[in-house]
Amino acid sequence: MIDLPAFSVTQIAVPLFVAAILIEMAWAKYRARDAYEPKDTLVSLAFGLGSTVSGALFGGFALAIFIGAYEYRLFDISENWWGPLWAWPLVFVLDDLKYYWVHRAGHRIRWMWAAHVNHHSSQHYNLSTALRQTWTGSFTFGFILALPLVLLGFHPGMIAVCGAINLVYQFWIHTEAIDRMPRWFEAVMNTPSHHRVHHATNPRYLDRNYAGVFIVWDKMFGTFEPEREDEQIRYGIIKQLGSFNLLWAVFHEWIGMIGDIWRAPWRHKLSYLLREPGWTHDNSRETSDMIRERWRERTNASDGLGEGGQIPVADRNPIADSPEAA
Amino acid sequence: MEIDARLLQFGGSLIAILVLAWLALALRLGPRPKLVGHHDAAQAAGEVQDGFAAVESAVAADGSAAVLRDPVGKIMVLKEHGTHFAGRVLTASARASIEGNTLSIDSGERRFGAVTLNIEAPQAWADAINRLGKR
Repeated sequence: MIDLPAFSVTQIAVPLFVAAILIEMAWAKYRARDAYEPKDTLVSLAFGLGSTVSGALFGGFALAIFIGAYEYRLFDISENWWGPLWAWPLVFVLDDLKYYWVHRAGHRIRWMWAAHVNHHSSQHYNLSTALRQTWTGSFTFGFILALPLVLLGFHPGMIAVCGAINLVYQFWIHTEAIDRMPRWFEAVMNTPSHHRVHHATNPRYLDRNYAGVFIVWDKMFGTFEPEREDEQIRYGIIKQLGSFNLLWAVFHEWIGMIGDIWRAPWRHKLSYLLREPGWTHDNSRETSDMIRERWRERTNASDGLGEGGQIPVADRNPIADSPEAA
Repeated sequence: MEIDARLLQFGGSLIAILVLAWLALALRLGPRPKLVGHHDAAQAAGEVQDGFAAVESAVAADGSAAVLRDPVGKIMVLKEHGTHFAGRVLTASARASIEGNTLSIDSGERRFGAVTLNIEAPQAWADAINRLGKR
């Protein structure tokens, strides 16, 4: 019988989450009242609560696979989840690398996107958005990317703890209240600035900055895009929901994907499952790459400025004219 | 025993999220957005679909919605959604009706809902939208 931690890192962090949201709401009251919207906040937090229920109900499947795979490990790194000490930084970094690829797959494979879109479906960007976690992640195959770590011999409990710490780290970066961190920090770590880009729907920013904790993965794999002072961000998804219906927000992409598969000719069915969101066999919709390309052609400039230096995107980011950190 | 603890935790969390959402309301966060004229509407439309260049628009009297047309005849409807706007480029499944100066647009997407705009001369817009289904 394999031993697992008797505590949950994310549950321990919940009081911290609540306190931080309260502080950010107080900031919003005086600095950016449109940073929060009550119905949006309720939906985001309900997502968070529902995801814990979903995880309790369905998360056991991935865990069982990990425990089974652990029997076939190459190295005996530890006999239990808490040791040895030297393994922790190593597994944390490797788990973050795994997170990068799972996250990238979450944006580039529609099956994965059907679960991950939940996290992006708010048009707001605040700490409650961080808790907008999927209910359906267990029905994707992201967990497979963690198998190499298990097979190397890292204890599943150790990997689970690292994954939870990674998730908790990402909470604080979902805010507009912090502009930029010190330069050395921005260079290595994922920050509010980097992650705002990730949540943006501006063509320049689509499918960029997949990092969890270390932004270096995006720089290494060519998906990094810095936030620009002259291009203000709009958040959400390409086709904004326009609805605060929680269940629609949870399942809309699954419903859309299954409908597309159902209607598609046989030879295209699998593509609607495995190709990028927006792909269609008849080019009736656009992928993020197509949107970016069309935007580049339209603005006729690689730096994103349109004709006459006009910024072709929204100007509603409240931090844009207050560059100092809040 | 473990189930009881989980239920307790769920109940506590549910209360916490309701309190936080209520607090957002009590602090009057999330002001309603307002479109003021063509420029505003055109900009919001460009956010809904990058490159949508509105040449004509009608903005609801209360600034909560708008309908716009681009040079090739595509029609977009915008509605307020929280503190932002959401929109749809209308397709053949869209329908429009008028009552007085109120234009009601059904985008054809049930979850997006119907949008009503109080505008001057809604007939031309209703006709244009209903023609989409006859193309």
